[in-house]
Amino acid sequence: MEFAATILILTCTYALLAAGVVILYKAGRVVNFAHGEIAVLGGYVFYSSGMVTGNSLWFAIFGATVFSIIVGIFVYMAIMRRVVGEPFYVAILLTIGLGVVFKSAIIVIWRATEVTIDFGVQPAIRLAGGATLSYMDVATVILTIVFFAALYIFFRFTHLGIQFRGTAENPLLASQRGVNVNFVLSLAWVIAVFAASLAGVLYGGRAFLSSESVTIGLAGLTAALVGGLDSLRGAVVGSFIVALAQYLTVRLISPVLSDALPFIIVLVVMSVRPWGLLGTLEELDRV
Amino acid sequence: MAHRGSNLRISYLEGNKILPRPYQKVLVAIVVTGALLLPAASSTFFVHLIDLCFLAATGALGLTILTGFCGQISLGHAAFLAIGAFTTVIFSVHLKFPFLLVLPIAAVAGAIIGFVVGLPSLRFRGVYLAISTLAMHYAIVFLATSYQANFGTSASAGITIRDPNVFGFVMQGDTAWYYFLFIFLSLVTVACLNLGRTRPGRAWMAIRDRDIAAEALGVSLARYKLLAFMVSSTIASVSGSLMAYYTNVVTVERYTLDLAILYVAMIIVGGMGSVLGSILGAFFITLLPYAINSLFEFLPSSLRFSTTVFGVQVGAIGLCVILFLVFEPKGLAELWRRIETYFDRWPFRYRPLEATRR
Repeated sequence: MEFAATILILTCTYALLAAGVVILYKAGRVVNFAHGEIAVLGGYVFYSSGMVTGNSLWFAIFGATVFSIIVGIFVYMAIMRRVVGEPFYVAILLTIGLGVVFKSAIIVIWRATEVTIDFGVQPAIRLAGGATLSYMDVATVILTIVFFAALYIFFRFTHLGIQFRGTAENPLLASQRGVNVNFVLSLAWVIAVFAASLAGVLYGGRAFLSSESVTIGLAGLTAALVGGLDSLRGAVVGSFIVALAQYLTVRLISPVLSDALPFIIVLVVMSVRPWGLLGTLEELDRV
Repeated sequence: MAHRGSNLRISYLEGNKILPRPYQKVLVAIVVTGALLLPAASSTFFVHLIDLCFLAATGALGLTILTGFCGQISLGHAAFLAIGAFTTVIFSVHLKFPFLLVLPIAAVAGAIIGFVVGLPSLRFRGVYLAISTLAMHYAIVFLATSYQANFGTSASAGITIRDPNVFGFVMQGDTAWYYFLFIFLSLVTVACLNLGRTRPGRAWMAIRDRDIAAEALGVSLARYKLLAFMVSSTIASVSGSLMAYYTNVVTVERYTLDLAILYVAMIIVGGMGSVLGSILGAFFITLLPYAINSLFEFLPSSLRFSTTVFGVQVGAIGLCVILFLVFEPKGLAELWRRIETYFDRWPFRYRPLEATRR
């Protein structure tokens, strides 16, 4: 049971990250290598805006939301928009550069101190089978479910969500039909940054945040790749596979290998199904 | 040579020249003479910095072959360097091989690993290939970590390597290394420039520009992609081996993903696909942290936190990558080309022609 609980929590964290990667890929065909840095930065912002106002949870949420909006719009409007139509590697390298800048922001502003986000809710729920779930873990699961449900409703039923899907399918045609593509793509970045920050906060609530924890971004990225870069459902499935495999490697083989493991899974999956488990076939990008 | 000093070519063979313009030979001669005289005129610390630049430049040239010439994005360059370093550890520390034997062994090890890392490139391209090189990076770092944990003197301090002994002459001190590395970098540079003119070089560029078209023209994608990976990792591996000898210590902590990103930053800042650019970029990225450090010296000591300085150093590199990609995607090499074109055309101000990549 302990084992199931751990994997469930890991899956939720990775799924939030992978969802951001998927949304960015769908909207602008950008694979974001800076996702871990954004997540950790969001976690730090949440922590600090809570600290400044005397542990006010609402203000922390407010701070992290403002952070998502500003960073999301800035990254898209100031940087990513300029390289639309350039060779594919430009966008990848830009996100890598962005990641480096975000990481340095963490080091400069927070002096690379390790931070644990403490919500002050320690008592744990005992489950049958000897596993314990803290309220933090329960919150993680609930928030992830709420987030995915909100995304589903957004894409399925709202006007903006339909515009979003149109942009994802064909930006040129969408803009011809009066969709403000820049707005939609900025929104994609805002949602992705928000999801990443949420993941960062939840991660920081259970373990701790430091400039080294940015590697969770790579786990999220690989989860998205395993599930299929253009499938939100795939993101959840991929996250589960990566979380399961990572847990088993740490337990059975070696913690050091757990860094390499997600990528090895990706290699295996991509050799068999290059478009991911639940991705669509047209996204084929292999030789 | 009808139009001296101009970019206009009147035969295909002229496009194949390494130094097409007469004054370029003079420039090269000046740079080489300056480089040879430099250690006599500067402090040991500066020579040390230039040594680091030379090492970085050889590594960056290796990456240029793969990413610049062949268009395969690689995030596994740190792993190639690690292979060189750990081959050096195995053969020089544990098996006591001489320096001149270890270098070729490192080269062969690099080629083999390059072949293995290159295998996924037969199946993936673009983002997926970048991810697969990341996978290889972590796998190789895992092997290196286990090696260091099991055979190192202590797991944290790394493994010490003694200064190389070349026929009774112990190579130590920054100046001796300076000349050795300068010769080595010159050889690698000439080799890269020449590779750009050979059949494999042309094939790589065809693959970079459009792989399907290249295949239709009869370029064997599998063969030339693997070749690019092998040549690239051979150069990187030898560079890693030399770095191990130069710094006298090998720890796996140095070979992180950040190091790989640093090399990518070098070729972006220098200019994708340009040999001159890779060298300029390597110098730029290697010296940038020291420049920032000396800028911080002006601040009062109460404001100089070591973590802040480190963070700014890291951030400046990331910022350079972003700014160059957005505003000058062809990098420092393009700036240099503009200066050249300006003088070529003087006193006229035509729009510069699209230059060949070099």
